[in-house]
Amino acid sequence: MLTGSKSTFKVRQMGPDIKERMLNQGGMTARGRDVFELRCLPGECVLQRAVMVRKKLTAREGRGWLSGTLFCTHFRVAFVPQDAPKPDDNADPVLLGDHDVALASIEKVVVVGPNRTKLVTPNSSLKFTPEELVLYCRDLRVICFLFDRLTPDAQVIEITHTIAKTYQPLKPGSVLSFQNAALGSVEMKQFLSNRRRDAHMNWHESAADWEREVERCGATGWRVSSVNDRFEMSTSLPRFIVVPQKVLDTELKKSFAHFNDGRIPRWCWRHPRGSDLLRMASFQNNIYHEKDDIRNLELILFGCHSSACVVVELGEELPSPADIQLAHGRLRALCLGDISTSVTVPDEKWLSTLEGTHWLDYTRWCLKKASEVACLLRGGHMTVALQEAEDRDMSCVVSSLVQVMCDPHCRTRGPGDDLGDTEETMSPSWPRNASEFPGKNWKKSCCGPQLPRRRSRVLVVWCLQAPVFLLFLDCVWQLWSQYPSRFQLTDDFLLALHDSTHLPLFSSFLANSQRERCRRTQNLGQCYTPVNGWRDPLHTDSGPEPPDPPLPPVWDWSLQYSERRQAAFTQPVPQTPQPPSLINGNLNTHQDAYRPSDGTPGSVFLLSRGVFSCPTNLLPWRGGGAGVSISGVYRKSHRRAPSSENVPGLERLLKACSLSEAPSKPKSDPYEPLLPLLMGPCMGLWRECYHRGALHAQAFSHPLSANHCHPLELLAREVRRLQARLAQASPASAAEPRPAHDANHNANNGTFLFPKSHGAAASAPKAPSAAPAQASSPAPRENANKHSFLFGHASDTRMGRANSKVAKSNPS
Amino acid sequence: MRDDYGCRNQCTSTRASQCLSSAMSQYFHSIIESSENSSFLYPLHSEVKRGLSFWLNVLTQDVTYFCPFTGALRGIVTVSNYRLFFKCMDREPSFVLDLPLGVVSRVEKIGGASSRGDVSYGLVCKDMRNLRFAHKQMDDTLKKSIFEVLMKFAFPVSTGLQIFAFEYGQVFPENGWKVYDAVSEYKRQGIPNESWRITKVNDHYELCDTYPSTLAVPVNIPDEELKRVAAFRAKGRIPVLSWIHPESQATVTRCSQPMVGVNGKRSKEDEKYLQAIMDANAQSHKLFIFDARPSVNAAANKMKGGGYESEDAYQNAELVFLDIHNIHVMRESLRKLKDIVYPNIEDSHWLSNLESTHWLEHIKLILAGALRIADKVESGKTSVVVHCSDGWDRTAQLTSLAMLMLDGYFRTIRGFQVLLEKEWLSFGHRFQLRIGHGDKNHTDADRSPVFIQFVDCVWQLTRQFPAAFEFNEFFLVTILDHLYSCLFGTFLCNSEQQRLKERTVSLWSYINSQLEEFTNPLYVNFSNHVLFPVVSLRHLELWVGYYIRWNPRMRPQVREPVHQRHKELLAKRAELQKRVDELQREVTNRSASSSSERAGSPTRSITPVQTFV
Repeated sequence: MLTGSKSTFKVRQMGPDIKERMLNQGGMTARGRDVFELRCLPGECVLQRAVMVRKKLTAREGRGWLSGTLFCTHFRVAFVPQDAPKPDDNADPVLLGDHDVALASIEKVVVVGPNRTKLVTPNSSLKFTPEELVLYCRDLRVICFLFDRLTPDAQVIEITHTIAKTYQPLKPGSVLSFQNAALGSVEMKQFLSNRRRDAHMNWHESAADWEREVERCGATGWRVSSVNDRFEMSTSLPRFIVVPQKVLDTELKKSFAHFNDGRIPRWCWRHPRGSDLLRMASFQNNIYHEKDDIRNLELILFGCHSSACVVVELGEELPSPADIQLAHGRLRALCLGDISTSVTVPDEKWLSTLEGTHWLDYTRWCLKKASEVACLLRGGHMTVALQEAEDRDMSCVVSSLVQVMCDPHCRTRGPGDDLGDTEETMSPSWPRNASEFPGKNWKKSCCGPQLPRRRSRVLVVWCLQAPVFLLFLDCVWQLWSQYPSRFQLTDDFLLALHDSTHLPLFSSFLANSQRERCRRTQNLGQCYTPVNGWRDPLHTDSGPEPPDPPLPPVWDWSLQYSERRQAAFTQPVPQTPQPPSLINGNLNTHQDAYRPSDGTPGSVFLLSRGVFSCPTNLLPWRGGGAGVSISGVYRKSHRRAPSSENVPGLERLLKACSLSEAPSKPKSDPYEPLLPLLMGPCMGLWRECYHRGALHAQAFSHPLSANHCHPLELLAREVRRLQARLAQASPASAAEPRPAHDANHNANNGTFLFPKSHGAAASAPKAPSAAPAQASSPAPRENANKHSFLFGHASDTRMGRANSKVAKSNPS
Repeated sequence: MRDDYGCRNQCTSTRASQCLSSAMSQYFHSIIESSENSSFLYPLHSEVKRGLSFWLNVLTQDVTYFCPFTGALRGIVTVSNYRLFFKCMDREPSFVLDLPLGVVSRVEKIGGASSRGDVSYGLVCKDMRNLRFAHKQMDDTLKKSIFEVLMKFAFPVSTGLQIFAFEYGQVFPENGWKVYDAVSEYKRQGIPNESWRITKVNDHYELCDTYPSTLAVPVNIPDEELKRVAAFRAKGRIPVLSWIHPESQATVTRCSQPMVGVNGKRSKEDEKYLQAIMDANAQSHKLFIFDARPSVNAAANKMKGGGYESEDAYQNAELVFLDIHNIHVMRESLRKLKDIVYPNIEDSHWLSNLESTHWLEHIKLILAGALRIADKVESGKTSVVVHCSDGWDRTAQLTSLAMLMLDGYFRTIRGFQVLLEKEWLSFGHRFQLRIGHGDKNHTDADRSPVFIQFVDCVWQLTRQFPAAFEFNEFFLVTILDHLYSCLFGTFLCNSEQQRLKERTVSLWSYINSQLEEFTNPLYVNFSNHVLFPVVSLRHLELWVGYYIRWNPRMRPQVREPVHQRHKELLAKRAELQKRVDELQREVTNRSASSSSERAGSPTRSITPVQTFV
């Protein structure tokens, strides 16, 4: 007990005693756990601990309270429930347990005392003993700990101060120190570098990855070019880009100068009906167009559809990154509330305040734009090029959304995902579309890509987030909530992704471009060599840095989440039938298909504000003049001016997304885009994400057991249990204890619950460590069965996933 | 095994709720256009098959329907004594409108005869839509105009005709009037017991003509005293039992306001009566009186002889005002809501427009009130008395919602029917006045969407607890549709006394004859769970599936198969269970014949695995 600590207690400098303790514990926890059952990461030290603490559970966790021990290490705030199962010392380390928060995710620490609340900063002093500790996190969680009378006051005060002192203030450089704290130990580095990358996922890094994607989409007429292999053409583009076969690399090289930052039109994705989706930056207008250049530019832009090209201008109708940031800031403030300032918005003003953030407007705009593009692509043979001044923000959102809407592969959960983005990886944008990371998708056959790779600027500059990526996630969530059964992934997956973007640990989210990512991993294999005369601005000022720890990709979920949590990333029930694989990517049987009526090659239309036009100066190299837009007037230029006759045809395609006529189609076609309803009442708020704070929870808190399950989970679990019993009772095995494999084999057969190709290979890393557990549990059969629902063991990884959300709760 | 699912456990899952709503919405979107098999027509088809005829076509004519969403449609309208049916064959699929005339609130001529001789008129409907038709001026003056026909058959009460329900003679396999029997419902709750008795004092509706004939009152208050208590309560609506907690014996009782008046009148009998209600519950020495009104309104009622219980007069009682507004405020709120959802929705200001209707705020207050009542009874083990002014609007909302939270029985399909029969119909919610069946006086100040609000609150509960209710969204929408349709006798009249059950068909006859339509596949029978919903506005939503269902843009574009998939899983489970049982039997037989010590083990697990659905 600290004498006098009640009245004034200054944060103590980390005195020798603490250091000593750290050392001691560091030693003790080298590979193991703290005496109080905290399983430490290699090199992690416990700075402070408080016993008999209760954690408030959210609605999703079942509400009520959980008591246990609270720890603060130099990497996270960890909470270990009293009755938590003993950690398995041999298991791979998990960065964060179910109840833990990384210090870097904490935004604010507030304590609640007998009659007051106070924001605790590293320098503040506490004049009272807190009864409640509230951590406001960047990812919009609000975590609330209650100190019982049994918690020694000294522990309460010390842990509060320790957390306040060690959580990451927003300073440059703090990201790196956090990374080092988490992953910098020798053991951790070694562990990470030994982790195998998921071979099934398309990382969109190498030329082969891109070729795979091109092939998957059946994009004939396109090839992977390595013209930017050394980032000489564009520093923000990925090393490999997909361009028309007709254009040679040498011709290509001359085109870069015509686009902002060298971001020439690149292929993202091909709709199975044959349209191609491209993205590009704005044109450099002040450049002289030689005849050859013009030919090449047209070839690149038109790709393999010489007939028609629609340029979709993204700049005007979509929010700017600054708008998004502002909206997100308001949304956060609104949803988080803050008991320390008591400026919470009154309930009666909730709706209008929510509207005032414009966040939902922005999601609607993005979805609307993506729906338009999806309808165009569905409509026929053409090239749709997304154009944005820098081609790094909204074009990522829109191109990725289009793929989520149109390509079932993008709605599966791959194990990895994307990050590898593709091509562009670059800039602050995330990958380009097309990504797939088939990976362990649960149906290999379908091999879908997963969510498109998206990465946004968000993470890029970690401290100045422009939450473009979060906007994208919200858009995907809107789609998901309107068509849950068309997704293999669940909102839990989206939530995990959302939270991970706030943790500066994953390579996927930390670099702005493939080039930067490569630089980070140089030590693992040089992938580019600086070119003469070209200086890397980052390097110049960063000086000699300690070598960064290797950062894992975010898709390595088992680093972050237990099997149980991961199982919830996938829908428990089977996917809708997988689309037949494409032969040549040409499914063009659609009657509405748009055909240019006059066969004039080279018509270019601009889609802006939902209207098509053909301004003569759309392509700077055509039409030469000051660009008076006279639609329908034949203008002599180096090609015929686009005729506007085609516009009505295009507009018909767009009408589909305005919905009055769309829905009657049978949904038999898996490539029919998921067009979301966009009316005001249909745009939902992602409550599971934005309203996780305990503050609004409810008027009365009742102690409830933490095991509520989704009824579907229960049912899936039960079917599973029955299958296990069947297996158990089957005559062959009844006589003697049968090997575990058999059980799985049996369980697997003839069930529609679990697709038979369950990606055994993909789950390999986990399996060996889990196997012993299973072997050692011959116990009562029932028990073993029950168990298997909880902790997917061994063979169970697949099953766990299939059962998906089974596990949110511990039956018992 | 049951323990696996927890026992007093709250089930919240928004994921499921999403699935649920999208799965359900397919039903009622089909009503407007699409097939003729929609539920409204169900009686018609069966009736045709039997060769009966309750319908009498009175008019068929070519008209133009001005659809606010798709523009003018030419087609044929048919008006019968029950409904208006419009069909446009020009488009594919054909466009159909089917509207029970009971839904019509007002028929108005628009703009008189125009220069081209068109006659145009609008129908304002009670179910959140307006329709506009036009037709050529007819030369044949002998033929009745649609306007006259509609005025006659849509408002039978005003024109001296009979409401259609009295002509409707459909026979259903089940008689819905038998769903509710007061005595057996009280018996289910354990009444009579040592503290509560059932009285027949109101057998001929002499004590109170708006109350049911069967009442449950404290044992130690004789019938004579009840009459004196009735004198002190508005309209004679004395405190009577609605629900009793099976364990703690805490009760929910309902009544009307005390006739305190400006002078602060007191009634010894009434005070003794409330004391008796409190004493009937040994767990608590307190009684909570929930007055649904805002305190200002309650005080204003003193001018009219009413008022509220003073805490001086009623010892150990605590009075709480729940701030729920009166029927006029609610009517206005719903009118505003209709303005913003029909026909056009302004996307960019949707949320602030919604806020300005205050509809969700009213819903929240009602739910919050019911939650407080449920919490007092469940957690505080304290008895509560609920009243507003007359005890038939807000009181009915509060007691029935609290009972829905407290008692899992009311969350089943039949239980919910019992709840409506009991708390709403038998206790005299004035449906005739509030809805104005067949009455052309559309400005009547007694009309108010009290019952719709209640159903909306129930829907909010189903969103928060998607597995806790046996019925689905379609069930709730169907109830609201037939609230207006005048096809069934259930929601006609103002009280049990007036209701002529024998002469009409009950809505429950229809519903219980096709239960699968109304069953929630996600239902898990957590019968002893108490639901405590989150009532913050942040967690309430507008019921788009009801209020905005006429907008074709709301139609789900892809039929969500989650619902379907759940059914498949159920079937799969049944099949597996069967196989398990068979194998188990086989194993048992075999091991019995071979080894005796193994024989015992399989039997233990024969207990059925499933514990729900």
